[in-house]
Amino acid sequence: MNDIEQFLRDNSPEIPDEGQFMIETNARLNAVEGIKQTVEGEHRRWRTAVIVALLAGLVLGSAVTALIWLYPPQYSQVDSFLAKTVQTLKPWKEVVFGFIAFCAIALSLLFLPNRRRASSL
Amino acid sequence: MTRERFISEVRACQGRLRRFLASLCGDASLADDLAQEALVRAYVSSGHFVGNFKAWLFRIAYNCFIDNLRRVPAPAVDIDSPEARRVAGDAVSDAAFRHEELQLALALIPEKERTAIALHYFEDLPIKEIASIMQIPSGTVKYYLSVGRDHLRQHIRL
Repeated sequence: MNDIEQFLRDNSPEIPDEGQFMIETNARLNAVEGIKQTVEGEHRRWRTAVIVALLAGLVLGSAVTALIWLYPPQYSQVDSFLAKTVQTLKPWKEVVFGFIAFCAIALSLLFLPNRRRASSL
Repeated sequence: MTRERFISEVRACQGRLRRFLASLCGDASLADDLAQEALVRAYVSSGHFVGNFKAWLFRIAYNCFIDNLRRVPAPAVDIDSPEARRVAGDAVSDAAFRHEELQLALALIPEKERTAIALHYFEDLPIKEIASIMQIPSGTVKYYLSVGRDHLRQHIRL
């Protein structure tokens, strides 16, 4: 072993006692724990809200679909703005629903990374 | 990893972690601040941790040190100039080192050489582990050790 290597091994720096350091570390970890719990609580609430909205959407959607099947509207006999709009859009229904689906997917893709960024510490 | 286990792992290696950071920054109080920043980062991501805790913690601490260097860059001076000695002397008014000349010399050499020297000679870590902490190949660690020793020889009278 050469001189400089022995010199380095013999002269490693000394550090003060762990006492104060561990007290400060524990205080910081407590603060982090508090933030973590707040963020987790927020996540839980957000997940619950999403599930509730999904279930409500399913129930309402099913009810409306059932009503439409049971009592199909006769647009040709009704002379209203809605009936005219539906008649006009009928040949373009694939395009219209495709556009709505595209917007929904694009919005959810834009929204998800923001949620993730907001939730990271 | 539970908090109790995290604390017990930290208690076991905090001395070496703080000494490593003190060797890098030459200031025991800044080293303690960086060590705590590293521990907070480690604690936040400890949920998914598996493997060698000490090496992982040292890697986080090294990244904290690099981040701190980027935030507060060292003054750009030639390491052989008298100005460099004055700047390094200002930065190392600390009692962590028994040998003041060594502290001054470490402050004068490049950060990567200092890191390799500190991990190998002060913490007694094998080359492979140093390579994983610094995220560089083993051959590069050996190169930094060799060049670092040469640079230290220029500043230390043995």
